[in-house]
Order: sequence, then C-alpha cells, then structure tokens
Amino acid sequence: MGPIATRRAMLAGAASAGMLPFLRMPGARAATPGELTFGLSSFPPSIQPWQNTGTAAATMKLLMYRGLTSYGPDGALRGELAESWQPIGTQGWEFKLRDARFQNGEKVTSADVKWTIEQIAAERSTAYFRAEMQGVERVETPDDRTVRIFLKAPVATLPVMMASYHLPIISRNSPRGQFVGAGPFILKAQERGVSLEFEPFTGFHRAGLPKLKKLKAIAYADENLRVAALRSGDVDLIEYVPWQSMDAITADPALSLDTVDGAFMFLVFNGGRPPFNDPKVRKAVAHAIKREDLVRAAFFGRGSPLQQLPIAESSPFYNPEYKDGWKYDPELSKRLLAEAGHANGVSCSLLSTAQYGMHKDTAEVVQQHLAAVGIRAELNMPDWATRVAIGNRGQYELAVMGTAADSNDPDGIANFIDGSLAPSYVRSYGLKIDRITELLAAGRAEFDDTKRKAIYREMEGVAIEQVPMVGLTWRSQGYAMRKAVTGFRNLPGALTFYSGLTFETTEVA
Amino acid sequence: MLAFVARRLVISVGLVWAVASLVFLVIHLIPGDPAELLLSQGGIAPDPAAVEELRERLGLNLPLWQQYVSYLGGLLQGDFGLALQDDHPIVDEIALRLPRTLELVGMAGLISVVFGVPLGVAAALRAGGALDRVFSAAAGLALSIPVFVVGTLTVLVLAQQLKLVPAGGYVPFARDPARHMLLLMMPAGTIAVGLGAVVFRVMRSSVLEVLEREHVRAAQARGVAPATIIRRHVLRNALTPVVTVVALHLGSLLGGTVLVEFVFNWPGLSGYLVRSVEARDYPEVMGIVLVISALFVLLNFLVDLLYAVIDPRVRHG
Repeated sequence: MGPIATRRAMLAGAASAGMLPFLRMPGARAATPGELTFGLSSFPPSIQPWQNTGTAAATMKLLMYRGLTSYGPDGALRGELAESWQPIGTQGWEFKLRDARFQNGEKVTSADVKWTIEQIAAERSTAYFRAEMQGVERVETPDDRTVRIFLKAPVATLPVMMASYHLPIISRNSPRGQFVGAGPFILKAQERGVSLEFEPFTGFHRAGLPKLKKLKAIAYADENLRVAALRSGDVDLIEYVPWQSMDAITADPALSLDTVDGAFMFLVFNGGRPPFNDPKVRKAVAHAIKREDLVRAAFFGRGSPLQQLPIAESSPFYNPEYKDGWKYDPELSKRLLAEAGHANGVSCSLLSTAQYGMHKDTAEVVQQHLAAVGIRAELNMPDWATRVAIGNRGQYELAVMGTAADSNDPDGIANFIDGSLAPSYVRSYGLKIDRITELLAAGRAEFDDTKRKAIYREMEGVAIEQVPMVGLTWRSQGYAMRKAVTGFRNLPGALTFYSGLTFETTEVA
Repeated sequence: MLAFVARRLVISVGLVWAVASLVFLVIHLIPGDPAELLLSQGGIAPDPAAVEELRERLGLNLPLWQQYVSYLGGLLQGDFGLALQDDHPIVDEIALRLPRTLELVGMAGLISVVFGVPLGVAAALRAGGALDRVFSAAAGLALSIPVFVVGTLTVLVLAQQLKLVPAGGYVPFARDPARHMLLLMMPAGTIAVGLGAVVFRVMRSSVLEVLEREHVRAAQARGVAPATIIRRHVLRNALTPVVTVVALHLGSLLGGTVLVEFVFNWPGLSGYLVRSVEARDYPEVMGIVLVISALFVLLNFLVDLLYAVIDPRVRHG
C-alpha cells in the first residue's frame, strides 16, 4: 500500500510543480507612452456633476466637466470657461465667456450658465451649492458670451465659488439623465466598482491640451495595494499615498512623491450642553494636546502641528500672531478647567471612527493627552456611516474630524466654524458664536482685500478665545508617480483635491 | 423521496426569506442614513434640504413596513431594485460580480482538493513517519497564518519585490485569458493555503479512521491488492467528511472572501457587500444577502446529491 500511495503523492506533487511556471508569467504592465493609468483611492459612488460624492468623484469630475473659473498649477484662481470677470456694483458679477465647446460639439453659451444655475437652485435639487445658488436673484444673458449674475446679498467670493468641482457648467441640451460638460477628457467606458476609461476631448478650449492619448482610472481601495501597484508598474500615478509608505517612495529612484499640507484634523464639540458649552472647557481641551505627538503617531511625521484656525501659511489671510493660539500648555488647561468649576476633572465621550486609521489614531492620542489634564474621554469608534449620523444628530460630546477646506480663501473654513448653519458632523453641534457668524458674513461681502484681511484677523482672534473647533494637525496629502510622468502637480493647501485639473498637462514618456 | 425534496424546498425558501427579512430589519435599525451619507462624502456638510429631498426621492421617508412590503413585492417579480447611490440596477451588478466570486471560490476549492486529498492520503498511509510529520507541520503552519497575511506577502514578494505578477486587479477572461487566470490564481491560491490545510487534515484523519474498519481489514486478509483497497474501500468512505467540510467552507466563502478581494482588488460579491453596508445602500445589501443565502441552500442540496454518489447507502436509504 505504502509505495503506491507515495507514487501518487509524487505525481500530485509533480503536477503542482508544473503550475509554477504559469505563476511566473510576467504580469507587470509595461508603460505605454501617452497612456496613463491612475490608481484611485475608491470607486466614485456617483459622478453626478453638482453633488458632492467625495474626492475620488471630484477628480473624475475635473476630467469631464469645467466651471467658469478654476485654478492654475500654482493654485492661483484663473479663468476656465470664463476668460474674465468683474463685479457690477456690490451684488452683481459679470463673466465674459471664452470660445469654448462642450463635448457634444456645441458652444458654451451664457444660456448654459443660466440653465446650470437654475438646475442647481431648483427645489428638488440635491446639489452641494443649492443654498448658495438660491441666493442668486437673477441671471442676465445680454449675449452668448456675457453672463451677469445678481445676488440677493453681496458675495465677494463668487468667482472662487465658481471654481468648485461641484459647480461645473453643463450643456442645457444634455440628454435626459446625462450631463455633457466641457472638460478635457471624455468618459468612454466604465466598469462599475473597478475602473473608468477616458479619451481626450479634441475640442477642449486650451489648444494642444490634453496631452494624454488615454487615461484609465482603476480603484484600489487598499492603500498598500495601491502603493504595490505603483511600485510594480501596474499604475503610473496614485492618490492618497499612505503616510507610512512615503519614505519608501521617496527612496525609490524610479518614483517621485508630491505632497502638500492641505487637509487637516480637528476636534468639534457638542456646545449645546455641559461641559463643552463653556468656552473655558473648550479652551482647556485646545491647550491639552501636544500636536507633535499626533503628527508622529497618526501620520508618521508627515504633517505639522495646527494650533490655530486652518488657514494655510501661504495664504495672504494667514495670521502669524495666532500661530501658537492653542499651544500645548497642560498647566493652563488645568487652570481653565478649575476656573470652569471642574477642578477634579471632567468625563466625556470622544467620537471617532475605527474605519479610518488616521481618525482612530488621532482619537487615541487625544484621549491620552486629555487624561493628563483630567479630562476622562471614553472612546466611541463606530463605522463611518454611524459616525456621520451620530455627528449630525449631536449625539456626542467631543469628536475627531478630518477634511480639507473648500478653498484657500478664509471663507472656505466657514463650514467648520459657522454655528448658524444647519447641524452637521463637520462642525460643533449647537455652538453658535454670533460674532464669528457676523464676521464671516462681513468678509464674504467685502471686496477690498485689505479690509477682508482685517475682518478675518478679528474673526480668528474671536475663534482662539471662543474655540468653535480645535485645530490639531495639518496632514500631508500626497500623490506618487513614476518618473516618466510629468506635468502633474499637487495643488497647494486646501486645493490639493483639485490636483486633477493638471491631468490636462500630464504626459507619460 | 419526492415528499422529502418538497419539504426541504419549502424549508429552504422559508430560510432564505427569514434571512432576507432579518437583514432588512438589522440594517434599518443600525444608525446611518444613506441619503445623508451619500451627500456627506469628502467630509463636507450636506445641505439638510438636499438630504431631505434625496430621502424622499429614494423612498426612505416611507414607514419601514411600507419599504419592506415594497421590497418583497419587487423580489417576487424578480426585481432587486436600484442602488441608492447611483440608480444602477442591482440585479445587473450581482450578475456581474457573482460569477467572479464563484470562480474565485471554485478555483480555491479545486486547488485545495487537488493538493489536500492526495497529500492527506499519503500522510495517513505513512502515519507517524517523516512524510506525515512534515506535511502535518506544514498544514498547521498554513492554518495558523491569517489569509490577509498570506495575501499581503504574495503581493509584496511576487509583485512588489520580484515584479513577476501584477499587484492584483481583474481582467475579464474574454479580453485576456492568460492575464485573467494569472490574476485569479493569486487570490485563489491565497484562500487555498488555509482551505487546503483543512482538507489535508480532514482527509488524513478520515483515512486513518477508515483503515481501522473491519471491512478494510477483511479485504487485506483476503489478499485484495492494496491499490484496490484504497480506491474501492478507503477513499470512497473517507471522502464523505471531506465533501462536507469543503462544501461548508465554500458556502461560507461566498460572502467571506472580502479580505482576499480587498488585498487583491478582485471585484467580487464580498467586497460589493461590504461597500454596500458601509454606504447603507439597503437594496444592494438585501439583494446580495438574498443571493448568497439562496446559493448556500443550493450548495447544501448539491452536497446531499454528492453524498448519494459517494455513498450508496444514502442513495438507497
């Protein structure tokens, strides 16, 4: 019996060994000049042009659609479908359109702009800028190339708003349920949940662009696999480079890494009930956290402390006098707690999510630092969907958040500190600070830059004392690519998620 | 026999309905609103009016019982509904992804049986010997390594370091058969490491147990050739528990390959299910769970049939 069985086992072994050469078949994709494969962090749940369905969708929208304005590689506001713009009095803006075409071959006209604004502002709209476009009193179209937008209240930031990837201009003649834009790439095919394939739009309004012959975006939800795909040559460029991989990518001579401190982590409060309805307790939290520990623990040193409002240092509205507004000072924290009547410390819940490592790690470090000054925070880390629901309903006391501002304009952080807006998980719940709301409105209505700077300086001063949020860290937001890829840029500051704009100048050698 | 089959069928349908109803209830009870979530992507505050509008459009503002009745009504007409996220027909998506998962699970099962059965027999026939010790130790090691570790190491070594294979992904067979098989072998092989070890162990102990039975000893005493004894008296009897174990594992793998799908970017049903739960896409979750439950029941039927083929007592009893 034995020898027969052994022989069979040997045969099975030989058969299995025969499969090995098959596994050794070279699989790594050879780079094709002019064709770029992009490793996305997730497959966009929807690419409806006016909805906010995440940053992966936003990048895809920048390929297909364009707005009146956009950003250059240096982050400066530039004309896109509009070649120029100017204010009309205090409540109107005039945009002059360039000679641009939609992907269906039709000209971009002022009627398309008017139609787009009407669609976004419509009663049944789910557009991200619905409320803002409902603030438009009327749109005039004196000729095909001129559009005048009159608002119910002065909005100095309208040209910045028009650069948003959630506000592209769509052809009014789009087939029902479809959206024809004027972006540099045409969506040719998509496999839901897997990939999207684009071809260049030859009628794009910037002559000679885009330079790529083909662009394929493949979703790699696993960040480690995304890096592995880049290193093995399966993809040419990846977004959301995990912080733990940045050193290895930098050391790889075949790859390059482009990072900016664009997104940030922060804390929000439930200001509708004790203990965080007291500004002294909120300030105690702000001074209790050593940000350097957070940068090291949660972001592998790839980031920087944020001890004031999240206005980038490169912004003309940055206020250096508040650089250390919420600096680490545990003794001050203890003193503030005692003054607020919590000399023996205070207990609270700390909401975060276990679904994303940066949120989880941040919460754990914050918990330790708070404990050191007497704030006993109990962690609550459900999945992201639950965390969003709990946050929107204010069913928490203290919560960790992370995101990027809408733009590099200081009005871009209004979402996080304006308590007069509807309840949302991204800002403190039930915490309305009237002076901040007034100053934000004043800054939005002011056209003079010097006066705007003064307004936002005062606003930050109020915020440092009243603490509508607690800045924790800037985090590096990175794109990594093969050296053969040129022309792609990670846009500065809050504009990092607009980097998809530079696909139009990207080349693959 | 017909009555038995009919009874089993009714129980099976009832079971699938119970599972679907339970999942419907559970996913609606846990916090998280799909409309709110869909408009909250990117960490930005959604307009409350837009959220309400979307809830109304998706039918999420209806009472729970109305949503349940509407869902069951759709199912009876073979309509799984549309995904909340992008109005995509769910049945189309399941039809696209189910074959990929079946292919992955099937290939993993095949590799496990091809390696596990002969090695298990070989080890049992040499019980206590060097071959048995080596194989048993290897099986113990394979069982103790988590599947995501095997997968990650495979990607790290074969794709990232040696650059021999792609770092995961999927290509349809019709477009590129060779690349399709290459991409399939990595996740299937990863699953097969653990599953093959299970098959090996069950096969080994089963053969050892059968070898001690009287009819085998009687055959040996009668001088029947060893190969015939193994083929006709040992293997057939020893395979029954292996079939049970493999079928149970394959059934659980239908919805449980999520880690492997994630590590290798294989766009199958498990990953789809997890993403649907994360997005609180109720119709998608219900549709996927229903299909997986139905397949599990179907698999159990097939196992019963296989028993009958392997063991005549089942066929005649």
